[in-house]
Amino acid sequence: MSVTGPVASRIPPNRVIPALALSALVLVWLLDLGTIQPNRIVAGTGHGLLSSLGWIGAGLVTAVLAASIVLSMVPLARRYLLLLGLTGLSLAALPLLLEVFASRHLPEDSPYARSSMGAGFWCLLFLLSLMLIEILGRLKTRRSLQLMLLVFVCGSWLTLLRSDGLESLSLVREFNGQGGQFRQALWTHLALAFGAVSISAVLAFVLALKMIRNTAWRRPVLGAVSFLQTIPSLAVFGLLIAPLSALSSAFPVLQSLGIRGIGWAPALLALIAYSLLPMVRNTFVALTEVPESLADAGRGMGMTEGQVFFQVKLPLALPVIIEGVRITTIQAIGLTAVAALIGAGGFGSFIFQGLGQAAMDLVLLGALPTIALALLADALLTMLAASLKPTSARS
Amino acid sequence: MIELRNVTRRFGDTVAVDRVNLTIETGEVCVLVGSSGCGKSTTLRMINHLLPHSAGEILVDGEDTTAMNPQQLRLNMGYVIQGTGLFPHWTVARNIAMVPRLLKWPRQRIDARVDELMKLLDLDPATHAHKYPQQLSGGQAQRVGVARALAADPNILLMDEPFGAVDAITRENLQLEMLRIQRQVRKTTVFVTHDIDEALKLASRIAVMDQGRIIQHDTPENILRRPASDFVESLVGKQDRGLKLMSLRPVRDLMTPHGSPKPSRPGADVLREDDNLRLALSVMLWQDLPQVAVFNARGEETGVITRERIIQEGA
Repeated sequence: MSVTGPVASRIPPNRVIPALALSALVLVWLLDLGTIQPNRIVAGTGHGLLSSLGWIGAGLVTAVLAASIVLSMVPLARRYLLLLGLTGLSLAALPLLLEVFASRHLPEDSPYARSSMGAGFWCLLFLLSLMLIEILGRLKTRRSLQLMLLVFVCGSWLTLLRSDGLESLSLVREFNGQGGQFRQALWTHLALAFGAVSISAVLAFVLALKMIRNTAWRRPVLGAVSFLQTIPSLAVFGLLIAPLSALSSAFPVLQSLGIRGIGWAPALLALIAYSLLPMVRNTFVALTEVPESLADAGRGMGMTEGQVFFQVKLPLALPVIIEGVRITTIQAIGLTAVAALIGAGGFGSFIFQGLGQAAMDLVLLGALPTIALALLADALLTMLAASLKPTSARS
Repeated sequence: MIELRNVTRRFGDTVAVDRVNLTIETGEVCVLVGSSGCGKSTTLRMINHLLPHSAGEILVDGEDTTAMNPQQLRLNMGYVIQGTGLFPHWTVARNIAMVPRLLKWPRQRIDARVDELMKLLDLDPATHAHKYPQQLSGGQAQRVGVARALAADPNILLMDEPFGAVDAITRENLQLEMLRIQRQVRKTTVFVTHDIDEALKLASRIAVMDQGRIIQHDTPENILRRPASDFVESLVGKQDRGLKLMSLRPVRDLMTPHGSPKPSRPGADVLREDDNLRLALSVMLWQDLPQVAVFNARGEETGVITRERIIQEGA
């Protein structure tokens, strides 16, 4: 391509999108797009792009990727908008590939046969998502639009996955097999993670205030919460079993509340212990880093100590405190999966069941929602922190 | 009126302010001047009780401040600090409205007052009211700081090196602005600075401080003419005093007025009655003139001033 006119020099070709799309093109042709398994345990047979989708489907996938390479190179003013449409629609329609694949290859006479996503499909999904992130970054879109796009893609996936055509998909099979347990796991997971984050937020706030008022508290508190963080998570879960069982057998009231050596109680305690370090540290740092001159100005103008705290210090510290909540929430969602080992429930139980039964699809059924939850919490809390910064929200 | 009687402040074993006696009359601008660490800021912060004093008494309008509720005391004292101390999470309008809101004024009254103050400080409400402090220039931010201090119309204004962090040109403008506002609102003002020229320009009376004590408390002219010690003499600049004295007196004092003002060509760079003698002399030296015409604020020529007279009587 030759750079001739002023237009061409003003809009330089994008380098990221062609690289991603080209990798996607290569990988989707090299790797298996999908696999057919005669039943849950037996290893399946893989199918490449051409075999999976036929000439028309394979041609369409190739054409879309090639089109995005071309679009990102041409000096067109609205190319990112076009790319956004193309990539967004492709991502939303991705499950259709699996539907076509299943309809072509699934043996009709075998009720246990199932289709699953191959490495090629995962690569396509991953690289398309990266392309979308790059495009959104280039367009400098507003958060609300990004959220709408996310809802559109997720909504399309959920609708397609629930349709009859994908009933044979291994993930859908596992989901249907678990029935109400999936919803149960979701609620347990959310309750444990967010319960731990809320309780530790309150505790951290109190501790941070105490540390600010009284310098003697600083070292011991920071030392203690750092120590808690250094114990391996599995060890904390294990260590809590003995004292909690002893407690609940000594006080039967606790048993009626569901507090036992295993189950939700030790899981919640361990999650709180883990959440304390980032929470305490961020809250403390955020509050102490509000310049003393501002507090002084507030006092000098006639604010009471309470007004200085609630009208000046807290609002200025809030973005950093929320950053702490964000880190803690993501960490807690991940750790809750491990808590399934001591019978706490949540998505971790699918992962460990799946590992036990050598059923990778069941592992995925636990792992994918955990990842999705963490990403969702990350996005929401980042948006919240950004909206609380005064100037960035406006200008 | 603010009275400090034998006020002392200790930090541990060091004495920051040592038995200071100072009376600031209602409506005057008292400038505390001295090198850093001389106790001038500490003295200021004891007046609004941000720092409690170790000994002595501080009276505001005859009332002992230790007996008063500190919040009530401070709500009646505008406070301007170096680096503005504006709240970055509040808009300009919200920052100015701070004290009226603490005093629970009705909304319309606050809005009207914010508008009025922004105009007084030459800030356009339409363009600046909804900006955040980070979006303002240093000079604009400092104006907002002054507007915030004046918001609830306090009797007393405390200013702690308010123009210390802005560039020389902006500082000059802010000083002129402050003189103009002071003529309009007549606040009892305590102003802390380390810049003797700023002190000479703004003060009704100057209190020179050194090592926690007030060395001399007098009018700018007397400080220049009769410095009480070598320290004061070196602070005001031994050799430079002639010109400094000239800069204290307006052209009006030594000009020869015309019988009636002549309507004349109004130019931007003319000498005005309010300008000081030092400027008049500088204009004459630069343009090599024996005399120069003087104009009033309406652009009418009201008299002339001669080089001879300035040199004879100027300092």
